[in-house]
Amino acid sequence: MLGKLALAGIKNRRRDYLVLLAGLTMSAAIFYMFANLATNQAFIKANGAISSASAVFGFGAVLLILITVVYIMYANSFLLSMRQHDYGLFMMLGATRKRVGELVFLETLILGTVATAIGIALGLLMSKFLVGFLLNALGLHLSHLTAVYLPAIVATALLYVGLFILASLFNLVRLTRTTVLKLLHSDELANQPKVNPVRQLIQGVLGIVFLAIGYWAMAAITDLELTAIPLALVTITLGTYLLFRATILTIIRALRRTSWAKKRLNGFLLGQLNFRVHNYTRMLTIVSLLFAMALGAITVGSGYHRQLPLMAEKTGTYTIAVHDANAHEQKLIDQLDSAYTATYTQKRQGKTVYYNAAELKRQPVEQRAYTKTGMAKHVSRQSFSEFKKSGIKDLDFLSLALGKVGPYTPKILSAAQFKRQAGQTVTVTTVRVKHLAADLPTLKRLNRLETARFSQPAQMTVGNYQNFVLVLGIFGGLEFIGYFLGIAFLAMLASCLMFKILSGAPGDQRRYRMLYKVGVRHGLMRHGIAKEIGILFLIPGIMGIIDVLFGLQMFKPLMAAPMSPYQGIGWTFLIFIGLYAIYYLITLGLYWRIVLPKSTDA
Amino acid sequence: MTTNTVVSVSDLEKTYGKPNERQYTALKGLNFTVAAGEFVGIMGASGSGKTTLLNMLSTLDTPTKGNVVVNGHDVTQMRGNQLADFRAQEVGFIFQDFNLLESLTAEENIGLPLALKGTPSKVMDQAIHEVAETLSIADLLQKYPAELSGGQKQRVAAARAIVHHPAILMGDEPTGALDSTSARELLDLLTTINERQQMSVLLVTHDPFSASFCQRILFIKDGQIGSELRRGDQDRREFYQQVLNELGTFNE
Repeated sequence: MLGKLALAGIKNRRRDYLVLLAGLTMSAAIFYMFANLATNQAFIKANGAISSASAVFGFGAVLLILITVVYIMYANSFLLSMRQHDYGLFMMLGATRKRVGELVFLETLILGTVATAIGIALGLLMSKFLVGFLLNALGLHLSHLTAVYLPAIVATALLYVGLFILASLFNLVRLTRTTVLKLLHSDELANQPKVNPVRQLIQGVLGIVFLAIGYWAMAAITDLELTAIPLALVTITLGTYLLFRATILTIIRALRRTSWAKKRLNGFLLGQLNFRVHNYTRMLTIVSLLFAMALGAITVGSGYHRQLPLMAEKTGTYTIAVHDANAHEQKLIDQLDSAYTATYTQKRQGKTVYYNAAELKRQPVEQRAYTKTGMAKHVSRQSFSEFKKSGIKDLDFLSLALGKVGPYTPKILSAAQFKRQAGQTVTVTTVRVKHLAADLPTLKRLNRLETARFSQPAQMTVGNYQNFVLVLGIFGGLEFIGYFLGIAFLAMLASCLMFKILSGAPGDQRRYRMLYKVGVRHGLMRHGIAKEIGILFLIPGIMGIIDVLFGLQMFKPLMAAPMSPYQGIGWTFLIFIGLYAIYYLITLGLYWRIVLPKSTDA
Repeated sequence: MTTNTVVSVSDLEKTYGKPNERQYTALKGLNFTVAAGEFVGIMGASGSGKTTLLNMLSTLDTPTKGNVVVNGHDVTQMRGNQLADFRAQEVGFIFQDFNLLESLTAEENIGLPLALKGTPSKVMDQAIHEVAETLSIADLLQKYPAELSGGQKQRVAAARAIVHHPAILMGDEPTGALDSTSARELLDLLTTINERQQMSVLLVTHDPFSASFCQRILFIKDGQIGSELRRGDQDRREFYQQVLNELGTFNE
């Protein structure tokens, strides 16, 4: 009978349960995807450059576990707050504590198990499609990447079910120790946090010190090596938490004393934030960290995506060299946005390749200048006499005629001599494109045709496009991890924040009902809510951006010059903030629907 | 009796439920007026329609038929923001469950109607302190509702209801959640406000003691006005007896 009652209680609040279940499912799915990548040794081993990142994955997993624990704690307290009135009622009707305790235990566990099962299934699907989609979009290929990986399934199931057993036990103890009356009247009260100026000051100073240590640790990653990451994680978490506690409340208090607070709903907004921010400090800290990690990961990923072509196009002079271009290849070459195109006729005989001086004079071969430290500078064309002395020895030029054992030795002949020279005649067309990234698809097709026609000696690369393919193989894995983690963290962060804010909505329903009764306009209430939630989104957002700006230091060793983790981050930030804003709008829409009083129900 | 009417209700009807469902008519053609400066009580048993009536008067609900004119405004013709502004400016409310915002201090709660109007903060401070003196809650202004007793909360609520000098003060069982001492204090305060500021008061209650503070009582039964009592020159105790007698026979 009691079981039936409990089930009826759940039915009545199915929307809330759906939110809860969706959040938990999402979390389990993300964890599975992550575990799938982090624990799959075959995948890690097969992708050489990623193996250096497997430590990053390890820390990521630890972090994800911590976040999951906190997340389930929030979810559980939300569950309990939804149910305790019902449980109180059952006890008042004469149900024994033991019986109600069993119910609580079972309910929590069933919900958790269902969420875990759906989550793993969703995680499998997402691994299959999302990961494939990402790889396609980035033009990468990673071997040994499978969607179904048993150890990851086991790890996810164990962690989640284990956590839910703990949560059930916690609920059981909590419930059996609370009096029936308290359960019945558990309406959320806005407790007013006490402020102690000295303590605030100490917290603030400590917070800044911790943050400074964390930021320093990330910048000094070359010295600290892998200890930098856990050190930064701990200190930044602590620092953010303390800083939030110390400053936000003080600012709100100060604002409340101004006359601005006495205009319209401003006072109410500040009052709301006052108790909300205090309750949300931990949660805002976590969200700011997640925000930073998501943004950081995507920034690094897109940094590689954008900068690999930039780096590659500075490795030599021409982008691609095509030998004896046929009509199809010529058509593709014409499609390229070329900065400099030259065609030379070669005559190959023995170990020597002969060039026509007239052609070389008409179309000088380009050289790239380098600084003393080996940094690439501009491209220039030498005079013919200079070219005969130095340019002729450039690897780029030598590579235009590769034999089975190495490059042919070039010799320049006058036009008349060249005409008489015997040997196999080959024409070679070199193209330097303006932007490697823009012409990638055409270059890919050209390169495929070229390599199919002429088998090139292994390990030898011709042109910047080949260099690009080479570095993509090395750094592409990092690029992928960046995007993947970014998206995973963003989803996690969004569901965390949305969920926490929405779980405060029932309490707010009463408050907005009161405002409605005393004659506050609908529009004013909407604005008030938009501001309130906006600020809750803004605080971790700002903190997260600051974290990222410092945190990118960590990637300096990995993104050596000419790449830089900071180059072109504006767009990435903008897109990320746009996505974040979409989550804000969704949360706001849901909140409006839950909280705003309908004018018909009195 | 003054001739200015603050509230005028004519032919007021309220039916719940859609036409094709089982309908329930809570109010069946009510007619009455409240004069400026009058202290009127509305009594009736549970389910008699008194809360429905108050919701119509305060624009929280719309009537099916009839007119409600408050301080010259026909509230049945208002829409959206007009309704909100009407509630904010013309009506002061006291509810049984106080309806204080627990995230705000007493002072901020009281100041809310003025803040909504956009009153300058200096004027606002003065108005708050004046009303706080009147209701002797000046020393409670910095406290949060959670730190106040029921009686204190209701006095803060009363202060919020009158701080912007509304045309009428409406109370929905304001003493319902109070102990007898606090209830008496609040009723005395309402009487004082009514007398000193000439503010009209409309009190909905089922408690004869509360009702005995009124000058005139309307008894509602099954959605209609069953009878009416006037206090006239009587002492409050005598009027209390009269109310009790009326109730004794009214429900027969």
